[in-house]
Amino acid sequence: MKRVALFAVGLLLVASTAMAAGPIKIGLMAPLTGAWASEGQEMKQVLELLSADLNARGGLLGQKVEVITEDDGGDPKTAALAAQRLTTKGVAAVIGTYGSSVTEASQNIYNESRIIQIANGSTAVRLSEKGLKYFFRTCPRDDEQGRVAAQTIQKMKAKNVAILHDNTTYAKGLAAEAKALLKGVKIVFFDALTPGERDYTAILTKLKAAKPDVVFFTGYYPEAGLLLRQKMQMKWNVPFIGGDAQNNPDLIKIAGKEAANGFYFLSTPLPKDLPTKESKAFVDTYKKKYRNAPSSIYALLAGDGFRVITAAIKEKKSVDPDVLAAYLKKGFKDDRGLTGRIAFNAKGDRVGELYRVYKVDAKGNFILQK
Amino acid sequence: MKNRNAILFILFSAGLATLPPFLNAYWVDVLNSIGIYAILGLSLNLIVGHTGLFNLGHAAFFAIGAYTAAILNTTFGIPILWLLPVSALAAGLFAAVVARPIVHLRGDYLCIVTIGVGEIVRIALVNDIFGITGGANGIFDISRPSVFGLIIRTPYEFFYLIWFFLGVTIVLFHFLENSRFGRALNYLREDEVAAEGSGIPTARYKLGVFALGAAWAGMVGLIFASKMTIIAPESFSFWESVLMFTLIILGGAGSIPGVLLGAALIVGIPEVFRDLANARMLVFGAAMVVMMIFRTEGIIPQRPRVYRIEAIPGEERP
Amino acid sequence: MEEFFQQFANGLAVGGIYALIALGYTMVYGVLKLINFAHGDLFTIGAYLGLTVLAALGLTEFYGAVIGVLLVAVMIMGMLAAIGAVLDRAAYRPLRESPRLSAVVSALGASIFLQNLVMLIYGARFQVYPLDILPSTSISLFQVDIPVVKVVVLAASILLMAVLYLFVQRTRIGTAIRAAAIDQGAARLMGIDVNRVILIVFLIGPALGGVAGLMVGLLYGQINFTMGWTYGLKAFTAAILGGIGNIPGAMVGGLLLGVIEALGAAYISIAWKDAIAFCVLIAILIVRPTGLLGERVAEKI
Repeated sequence: MKRVALFAVGLLLVASTAMAAGPIKIGLMAPLTGAWASEGQEMKQVLELLSADLNARGGLLGQKVEVITEDDGGDPKTAALAAQRLTTKGVAAVIGTYGSSVTEASQNIYNESRIIQIANGSTAVRLSEKGLKYFFRTCPRDDEQGRVAAQTIQKMKAKNVAILHDNTTYAKGLAAEAKALLKGVKIVFFDALTPGERDYTAILTKLKAAKPDVVFFTGYYPEAGLLLRQKMQMKWNVPFIGGDAQNNPDLIKIAGKEAANGFYFLSTPLPKDLPTKESKAFVDTYKKKYRNAPSSIYALLAGDGFRVITAAIKEKKSVDPDVLAAYLKKGFKDDRGLTGRIAFNAKGDRVGELYRVYKVDAKGNFILQK
Repeated sequence: MKNRNAILFILFSAGLATLPPFLNAYWVDVLNSIGIYAILGLSLNLIVGHTGLFNLGHAAFFAIGAYTAAILNTTFGIPILWLLPVSALAAGLFAAVVARPIVHLRGDYLCIVTIGVGEIVRIALVNDIFGITGGANGIFDISRPSVFGLIIRTPYEFFYLIWFFLGVTIVLFHFLENSRFGRALNYLREDEVAAEGSGIPTARYKLGVFALGAAWAGMVGLIFASKMTIIAPESFSFWESVLMFTLIILGGAGSIPGVLLGAALIVGIPEVFRDLANARMLVFGAAMVVMMIFRTEGIIPQRPRVYRIEAIPGEERP
Repeated sequence: MEEFFQQFANGLAVGGIYALIALGYTMVYGVLKLINFAHGDLFTIGAYLGLTVLAALGLTEFYGAVIGVLLVAVMIMGMLAAIGAVLDRAAYRPLRESPRLSAVVSALGASIFLQNLVMLIYGARFQVYPLDILPSTSISLFQVDIPVVKVVVLAASILLMAVLYLFVQRTRIGTAIRAAAIDQGAARLMGIDVNRVILIVFLIGPALGGVAGLMVGLLYGQINFTMGWTYGLKAFTAAILGGIGNIPGAMVGGLLLGVIEALGAAYISIAWKDAIAFCVLIAILIVRPTGLLGERVAEKI
């Protein structure tokens, strides 16, 4: 019975893809369930908003744009299935996804099916070192962020530095890059916490005993918020620096304004700090529709992926992946991205000065440091 | 009876083999996923279904097979399919060593220990133990398998590799079930003390079945690694062990058709409900409860062994 | 040495929470021999409902922190007891006569269902308790810094355990629970309404889990829908460590697990902390196959 049903569904799907000629389809592969569901669901919201906006302005090449979302569950195996499914849906390009190993599981599938993939949260260096023709990403790489982090730490004139990561691909990669680039300082602590826990006092006690001048935590905002809060409860005053995965207003909610005050983090610029009217208009409509400002930087990076690919399709009047990929690598420039200026190099990586240093003020606002 | 099963099996296989050309790549890949879980399920079924040992850490053996193959393949360039016996041996040996001090534990204590073993293995992989597992990045650039010079790449090609392996597994495990070893395992499950009393060396049999199930999972690990070409610790989490365990109980512990159906459900339900987006796992959870309530023994439970009196030679019929 | 005591105190604070959740596991297990995998998610629901009640009723502003939190705790226990009873009726009772592993799968399904239900109702983003409910003073004891709230949480866990222990040992219902735990059939023959005993157990266990969720919310502030999975696994480990089915065992197991984790992180490696805890667990079970305080069960022949 099961097989008969599968067979029938399969036939239907084959039939439906054969008739695909209507709207231009853009895929989104994002974690809608699992531990990173909050990020993925926001990516979906951003893309829905942008596509609705685009369609209201007459669509693309005279056709509607449709976003097809598939859940990757934040897990490589599910991602491989999601990618296979998207390849059968006649999408012109795919935005996503978040985790590096999750993206990696889908890279070959898209590349072999000649579909452009624009990852939005996968920062591991090696993803773009494989010479894949159709792979791009709007998020900068770990080595770029590591470089800026090392610079920032050195500017603070810290002698003893503690580096704490959380053993995820992203955080460990960033921690390792920064460690390798830090010259003339002593690394007094290098270890990983277990993400998803609530009590980090044991780790903070150990950190404190190492007597660092500054702590660089490369993990994500839920843990960063708890670390800041518990650090304050311990009455330990050491500056903390974080990576771009901590650029989330929820960090302030978790830590509390008092504990977060003076916390530094690195990030691509936030829409509110960009001079363009597009980014301001985007934040306004987003607030109107979903009742709060977008919180995840990766959702904005997904939005930029969408803007990039639709702009390229519009410019080249084509959905041919070879034409689009060649154009994106050479000639494409977007000064009005939600996260700043966007251009790509021959590997598909985003180029330019991307990272800024932010500091949290006493009211819990993210203030761009000049 | 025997012939009918064999004919059914052959017809079913032939039907399946002609299926892929009618399906798109996505559904073929769903079938591949079902196949992989089915083999994993069958290997765990030996331990859980037949012997009644509560193992919630099977992903550890799956991981060891996958990593063994991946490491040897990427560092020494050994063709991946040649490593099949190596992966099996590594996983089987590991299981035998680990299981030795713990097999005597009772039900739920054994359960937590196997969970512990699974977690220890995963944490070791994440922490890049011996500097060979690549940490959270995992291992990438694992080569595709090649059979007689043909490189297996697309989901369609993998379909035949995976389901061929599944077919072989079914046949072998079917004979195993009805062998002396298989019957002893069932006895062990039903009444360990009586089994011991009847001269079955229970500890040795338990170890044996752990090693055999683990070795099989190790081989599936190799296929999984070569299919994904990248493996990372998150593919071998506690959740994977839970899925393998669930599919067995759901389908029917101890029954080969049950496990196959269980695999189809456990992979199929979340896929069929993809359109529900973030509500799909809710449906999945509810379906698990409902199916368990309506079929408390699993959907296709193990059939009781039937022996005909006439078949026993040398005895007068009453 | 100072660091050692500080880490020891850190471990006890974490362990107190594990112990409280483990109590719920042990209660249900003792009678039903069922590992209630959904227990961790009941804990999550407790944390979320606690936040909702705090925000909606403003009890802490009205009656002050201590009485307000106590009132919320009582309400949460009531709600979770009701949810626990419904869960038992829907997912476990139909499976009472069937193979044990079937009930385990039903529990796993219920866990997935509840976790995703919380996500759909409250959203996937992290929710945060108000920061200023509990005082943030801490006491210094031999140069060891211990926040008062953590001492209170630990004391509350121990108190709840003691009450539960006395309830099970001294009252009529407690005696019925113990009888049903040993042999349901015999208990039934002695005129004990086993279904009622099970219902009572399913009121108490989830109530304890829910109150633990509220405590975690108040202590750490940040809650999310996947937290039950992690805490549930830890608490299950703690219950087994102490000897599942045994109430003081859950307490000992929880505290011990917390301390092992803290000391393991401090003196061996933070990244290997959980692996160290599991190694210790396995080592203990090899020596004492039924946990620290578990009774040796004679196999029937």
